[in-house]
Amino acid sequence: MNIIHTKNLTKTYIRFEKEEGLRGSIKSLFKREKIVKTAVNNFNLEINEGEFVGLIGPNGAGKTTLMKMLTGIISPSSGTISVLGYVPNELKNAYKKQFSIVMGQKSQLFQDLSAADTFLLLKEIYDIPEDEYRKNLKYFIDLFSIADYLNVQVRTLSLGERMKMELVAALLHNPRILFLDEPTIGLDAVAQKQIRGFLKEVNREKGTTILLTSHYMDDIKSLCKRCIVVNNGCKIYDGNLEMLFDRYQTHKMITVTFDEATSYIHDFNVQIIERNPFKLSFMAYRKDVRHIINCIMTECEIKDISIEEEDIGNVVERIYSDKGGALIEEIF
Amino acid sequence: MRITRQLKIIYMLLKMKLSRNMAFRFSFFGVFFVDGSLFLIQLLMFSTIYSQVGSIGGWDRSQMLFFIGTFSLINALNMFLYFFGVISIPGKIKSGELDLYITKPVNSLFHLSFESMDIGSLPLVFASIGILVYAASGMHKQITILTIIGYAFLVFMMLVLYYDMEVILRTIPFFVIQASSIERLEGEVITLCMKIPGTLFKGAFKFLFYLVLPYGIMATVPTQFFAGTLTLVGFVYSILIAIAFTAFTFAFWKLGLKCYKSASS
Repeated sequence: MNIIHTKNLTKTYIRFEKEEGLRGSIKSLFKREKIVKTAVNNFNLEINEGEFVGLIGPNGAGKTTLMKMLTGIISPSSGTISVLGYVPNELKNAYKKQFSIVMGQKSQLFQDLSAADTFLLLKEIYDIPEDEYRKNLKYFIDLFSIADYLNVQVRTLSLGERMKMELVAALLHNPRILFLDEPTIGLDAVAQKQIRGFLKEVNREKGTTILLTSHYMDDIKSLCKRCIVVNNGCKIYDGNLEMLFDRYQTHKMITVTFDEATSYIHDFNVQIIERNPFKLSFMAYRKDVRHIINCIMTECEIKDISIEEEDIGNVVERIYSDKGGALIEEIF
Repeated sequence: MRITRQLKIIYMLLKMKLSRNMAFRFSFFGVFFVDGSLFLIQLLMFSTIYSQVGSIGGWDRSQMLFFIGTFSLINALNMFLYFFGVISIPGKIKSGELDLYITKPVNSLFHLSFESMDIGSLPLVFASIGILVYAASGMHKQITILTIIGYAFLVFMMLVLYYDMEVILRTIPFFVIQASSIERLEGEVITLCMKIPGTLFKGAFKFLFYLVLPYGIMATVPTQFFAGTLTLVGFVYSILIAIAFTAFTFAFWKLGLKCYKSASS
């Protein structure tokens, strides 16, 4: 069942430009240069109930603006939105009870109190019946193993612990849709993995529809089957994630460190990122990685080697420069 | 949303605020100390004024004292209930913190307004009542239950009007980036209207402080009612102005939310 639907959704902002210096400031008192910035441009989106969708794109692509329009935080400049049959910007309480938003850089927990105190307030705000509240809280406490720090002042929690509490706070009222804006930002690898496991479970067990933005490729790859790529406010890809990465994540990042100063030179087709006598970092085509690693390991005394996925920004950039819009037609 | 649910949430917010204050013991007791001291300073100032002034604009000393007690009560209730919540609104608009309030299924304006109730202002409320009792005893007037209920009702309406004025000024940052100079103007007008009864304003000033920025009626009307000098027209006018400003406040806030740009993450 289709629960999120947008048609030609557009959001424009007006910015003012001012010349530098005092003269420019005085001039701007009387005359300002207006610049219209289109944050989201003619965006069409359909999401079915229970889907876990990744929204990716470089900074300023329009991901967060799109999410803010879907949650009613900001109004669209034109186009239509329907979420669960509601127009988000009408800010109806009946709609607000059916979704939650978690923003990695904004907290809804009272920092000076325990998370349990905030949960009690949310119980009142969402009008959660006592039985349901107790049942949900127990479910999340067990799932996340947070019993030990439920009653601890929030400001003393680590970032990972706090994010778990944020997610519990967002899910206590059983929302049908969960909007996640960079939920793993700044977290270490262990905490990121825990959060991912938790989200997977919630999506599977409770059937919660989740729309996730993240700069961490691992988040998107391990959670979402469907991915939407946004750049300059436009949707440039909407479809299967694996197909996208097979086609556009063409490189891997290899970093080799040496025990001794080494001036390793080989005629590989790679892009050097960093080079010094003890370290070599480069981007190589995925198909060449095995051959390159073999050569390096045969020819040098290496201390350590790491192979990482290419940065998500590069992939998006490549899709965009390859006129990824054409790909949408191709896949569907 | 039902009023009972709204009140329940306000009660929860008060409990949370109390708990937050108690989380820092020094801060909790410090608030009592600081606000109590401020009240003592206010009392000293009042005493000085009354030692110099016998009657102003036909108001005798007791009536004048009652007027100041009324303003002090409205101000203390304002401080206790919503002042600290309301003054945080411009900052939350600019920083984008408002996002999370908007997405909650409660009135975002009420949530913001009542989440920072200041327990430390309660002594000021009691002290203001003390001034009122003292002033009333000097009025040599028979006080009936009806007088007290009517006075309390008018204080409530003026408290609503005070709230409206505070919110209206702090809704402006939805539309313009910098509005702090308007807040400074508000401070000056309140200080003026706290010292001068509205009955003294004439002509353009009366228009300004009775209609455009109706701080002039806030303490004056309840005092006139208590003293038995308020006309029916004055009574109806003050109620209508409070209702009109409340309607405008909610409409203006709603418009502000429509224009809200949030902040980049």
